[in-house]
Amino acid sequence: MKMAARSAKGATLMKYMLLMNNMTRSDVYAGVSGWQQQDIDVHIEFMKSVTSSLRQSGELLSTEGLEVPDHAVVVRAGKNGEPVTDGVFPEAKEFLAGYWIVEVADAERAYQIAAHASSAPGPGGAPLNMPIEVRRIARPATGGEVNLT
Amino acid sequence: MKYMLMMNTMRAGQSLDWPKKDIEAMIAFMMNFNKELRASGELIAAEGLSFPDQAKVVRAGANGEPITDGVFPESKEFLAGYWIVDVETPERAYEIAAKASACPGPGGKPLNMPIEVRPIPVMSGPPPEMP
Repeated sequence: MKMAARSAKGATLMKYMLLMNNMTRSDVYAGVSGWQQQDIDVHIEFMKSVTSSLRQSGELLSTEGLEVPDHAVVVRAGKNGEPVTDGVFPEAKEFLAGYWIVEVADAERAYQIAAHASSAPGPGGAPLNMPIEVRRIARPATGGEVNLT
Repeated sequence: MKYMLMMNTMRAGQSLDWPKKDIEAMIAFMMNFNKELRASGELIAAEGLSFPDQAKVVRAGANGEPITDGVFPESKEFLAGYWIVDVETPERAYEIAAKASACPGPGGKPLNMPIEVRPIPVMSGPPPEMP
């Protein structure tokens, strides 16, 4: 079993996933289309700075952005285990736009990072204050990291 | 091409109340599944998440301070875990997703759970598309 990571002060670090997933399909498309190019550029710059500052502090484990929901497919196993795909989603379904996985000393630090991402600039440079879901990466009761890989 | 395979199978207030034997069979299946994906060189990352009772939604307040909320509608889907795979075709991603979908559940019966499959853009970093 992998040992849990520790901070410089010796505290056990915890892994959190910060998810941008509170948007439905119509939010995603209504969103960007109404923005001025300059606002989009400022937004992207901000998001890049979030990532680079987390990389610098050593807290970033990974980050990804996903394709827009047009490219989403839901797959289930059929009777013989074959993939059965479906691309029709209820209007209310939330899609993940992207995420960060961070390794931090406590939940408060994860919330702080999430609040910073939440304040990303939108139209006219005003903070979006968008919701960011914060979830702990699972660990077994033994205190070790869950490492399903 | 990189794809993210998501198990959006948890709901607010849900816990895993299966018999211990069935939970063990599920974990053994998942570990073996991951081992195969790693052996084929297709696995980039995989994580399992904690239950929604520990989830929070955070927003920046007026001065940028975190405002947390942990009350969710019962219909809200939560990510239970995910895989990122690097494969030649979308069909291969769907094949892998179907295999995960058939993970054994209570009584060893295949769950046939829905797995959302989404491409990850080549130049991924911070998500380019935001509202």
